[in-house]
Amino acid sequence: MKTILSILLFFLAVQTIGQTLIKGSVKDQKGQTIPGVNIFIKNTYDGTSSDLEGNFQMETELGGTQTLMFQAMGFKSQELEVVLNGSVQEFHPVMREAINDMTAVTITAGAMEASDEKRAVVLKSIDIVTVPSAMGDIVGAFQTLPGTSTVGNDGRLFVRGGDASETAIFIDGMKVGNAFGTTASNVPTRTRFNPNLFKGSFFSTGGYSAEFGQALSSTLALNTVDFPLRSQGDVSLMSIGGGFTQTLAAEKSSITASANYFDLAPYQSLIRQNFDWERAPFGWDAEVSARQKWGNNGMVKAYVHTESGGMKIWQAIPGSEERGELVDVQNRYTFAQGSFKQIGKNDWSYYGGISYSNNVDALVLDQVDLRNQNQVLHGKFVALKGFSDRFSIKTGVESYTYRYEENFRSQNSKRELNDHHTNIFSEADFYVNSKFILRGGLRGGHSSLAKETWLDPRLSLAYKFPSEGQLSFAAGQFSQMPVEQLRIFNQELQNTKANHLILNYFLNKNGRTFRAEAFYKQYQKLTTFKGNPFQYIDIQQNGEGYAQGFDLFYRDRETVKNTDFWITYSFVDSKRKFAQYTERVQPGFASRHNGSLVIKHFVSGLKSQIGASFGINDGYTYTNPNFPGQMNDKTRGFQDLSLSWSYLPRPNLILHLACSNVLGRDNIFGYRFSEQANASGRFEALPIKLQAPRFLFLGLFLTLSKDKNANQLNNL
Amino acid sequence: MKKYLFAIGMMFLISISIKASNEAYEKAMRTEIQKLYRAGSVQDLQQSANVFSRIAEMNKEEWLPDYYAAWAYANMGFRTDGGIQEKDGFFGQAKMHAKKAASISPNNSEIVAMQGFIIMGELSVDPNSRGQSLSPIAMQTFAKAIELNRQNPRAIFMMAQMENGMAQFFGQGPEKACGLVDASLKLFEKEASEAKEGALEPMWGKNMAAQMKAECP
Repeated sequence: MKTILSILLFFLAVQTIGQTLIKGSVKDQKGQTIPGVNIFIKNTYDGTSSDLEGNFQMETELGGTQTLMFQAMGFKSQELEVVLNGSVQEFHPVMREAINDMTAVTITAGAMEASDEKRAVVLKSIDIVTVPSAMGDIVGAFQTLPGTSTVGNDGRLFVRGGDASETAIFIDGMKVGNAFGTTASNVPTRTRFNPNLFKGSFFSTGGYSAEFGQALSSTLALNTVDFPLRSQGDVSLMSIGGGFTQTLAAEKSSITASANYFDLAPYQSLIRQNFDWERAPFGWDAEVSARQKWGNNGMVKAYVHTESGGMKIWQAIPGSEERGELVDVQNRYTFAQGSFKQIGKNDWSYYGGISYSNNVDALVLDQVDLRNQNQVLHGKFVALKGFSDRFSIKTGVESYTYRYEENFRSQNSKRELNDHHTNIFSEADFYVNSKFILRGGLRGGHSSLAKETWLDPRLSLAYKFPSEGQLSFAAGQFSQMPVEQLRIFNQELQNTKANHLILNYFLNKNGRTFRAEAFYKQYQKLTTFKGNPFQYIDIQQNGEGYAQGFDLFYRDRETVKNTDFWITYSFVDSKRKFAQYTERVQPGFASRHNGSLVIKHFVSGLKSQIGASFGINDGYTYTNPNFPGQMNDKTRGFQDLSLSWSYLPRPNLILHLACSNVLGRDNIFGYRFSEQANASGRFEALPIKLQAPRFLFLGLFLTLSKDKNANQLNNL
Repeated sequence: MKKYLFAIGMMFLISISIKASNEAYEKAMRTEIQKLYRAGSVQDLQQSANVFSRIAEMNKEEWLPDYYAAWAYANMGFRTDGGIQEKDGFFGQAKMHAKKAASISPNNSEIVAMQGFIIMGELSVDPNSRGQSLSPIAMQTFAKAIELNRQNPRAIFMMAQMENGMAQFFGQGPEKACGLVDASLKLFEKEASEAKEGALEPMWGKNMAAQMKAECP
């Protein structure tokens, strides 16, 4: 009986010690008061909020020693001990700011991000698909961004005086070998991947993270869609082909399968071409991507893409009236990958995966019948540990297996290259506060073939000004093995090297974005050689050079109603000794002045988006053998005005019409010269042009889904 | 005998304290829900949000406190005069509470509708740049809320708002949106007539629906 009594008494006692007044004020580290702080006694209903001056006051009938909690948005929670004994308790805590991904400074040096989620982005995912000059090619859209130059007869990404092989492409963090379609020389290529597959991309024009390597200039990291919104079918009918994509989405998993076919022959029979085609480019591709949620926060993705295509083209020989050489290109390509991410306990998270690309080209030119095969196998595992909201370390290991084979079927000779790279990297992020971040990284690698071990340091930092805008700086060393076509001749070739220095200013305010960046890039150990493709001789690594300049980007979605435009200017001053050049020259792909303008205007009345993009540069250097010296001449400037019209008669139907080079400017990307001088001692020239002055694209895109919204009214 | 007495005494005490805590919960909720519906300023809403957070801390099995905290934060996002960053901050808090509520009560039409409401808020912060990516997600979310409970007037009304925006964008008439508003108003009335005195379940949205109805032809 006594026990019960004492328990009862205890209960009563707790509740009747009397009232205690708790009061005080809350400030942040800068001494400014914080309104709206949630102040309460832990595990009870007793609490209050701070007023506009940061003051608070509450009464409680509780007694004993309790925990007083302070919680506020953007600050770390604080717990203080309070003794409730009837006398007034005063507290004046200083709350520490919490670093929040969404509001904290981000490193923007060298980086151009397209994302729907993050803040310091240049583009949204959808913007990529709707750039008129891009014609639905991801890389085409990036060519309207600063730091890139348009090389119309190639189509790949050329970044800041670097050649196309200096850009590495990754999907969900995994390396993509041969990301561009195989083509004949001077016939532009495209990325193999459908832009709708990706939810965002991270394009770095230099100074990038230690997570990536084997790219002297630039990386393009594409991230696939996590979860499709709904089950749907997408039909596309285009002037050059068609395709069908079916997506099945369930709660925790989804699968998308797609098949496409294109053939330029019908189109080319209607519109006159500059090129002499024996067989217009054609091809098919099929892909399947599957995603599965793994626990509450994890995800596993798998993706397989396979395609086949070809073309036959007569390439004229300078100084000859005949049809020239017949080039037959057939390509077979497969890319497969699996990746995962998972969030573990104690602020650990993990991601990684495995990817495989296999590219087989069959080339027949003149007497040569060549089959080459390039395979890349990449495995990666990364662990990320957050020690606090201010400090985190990312560490990873990678394995790359490269296999390249050239098989001259006509001569019955074969050569091959096998290399294995092991890489480790570690990168630490340290937020001094939400306005200032430091990032330091190291990337080490070893090549079994070159018997070389290397270590590349990387450093970047960013500071956000109190008012607006931010400044970033990045520096680092980057290593890349020479291209396989050279290494196969000289298997002792070591890494080529580049050092980057980048200073960036970024301002994003009220729908307007301004970005300015200055850069300096130094090249060492570049390869030089003599001879012709597949017959290189005297390959050495005594090339070197530099690229420096700046670029400007301004984007505005506010000033003109329903209109979004961006304008860029890039200045590149580059000289390097490389390839067949025996002295420093301005590379043909590095035009000095580059500009672009993209405008998209939505007309509600017409249910249409009208787009225009304009690209311009000051011309490409080339060597004219009729004069002494190397790279001694320059083409006239390149100009292209592309227009597009997207008509949305219904939410699920899009009609898209686009035309490149509307003005029909005769763009020249260089010249090919005859090997021998003619009777009058001159080398005859043939200009390198696009396959046709204009390219016209008409497409109809229909989405079929069990549109629940549409049925809504009937069901009610 | 002593033993039994002790056991009975304990059970009695436990039942008292459970009843007391239930009563305390309901009382705290009822008081604060009334305050929340009257709250006008961001400051008032913040206070309410704080109270609901505290109630949520104490009642980890209940989804309603987090639901109302989410609603308070979402309204702060809509009402503040602050910039994008501040608005996103409020919607971020709202999201966090909605997610907590959803983990307590999965497949709850009201919570899913709230999640849609928050997405709508995020969209409204910067419609030019977010419209394209967020409006399908918002509609999808409302569709899911309706699927979970076809009698949820809030889900239907908010879907009507989205439909209205879509119709304007594509230059179509408001018939579909207005039909949904009518349907939601009927359900709001039904909800009001069936509601028990002092019920804690969500009841908001009727005025907004009536406002939208006034704009219908």
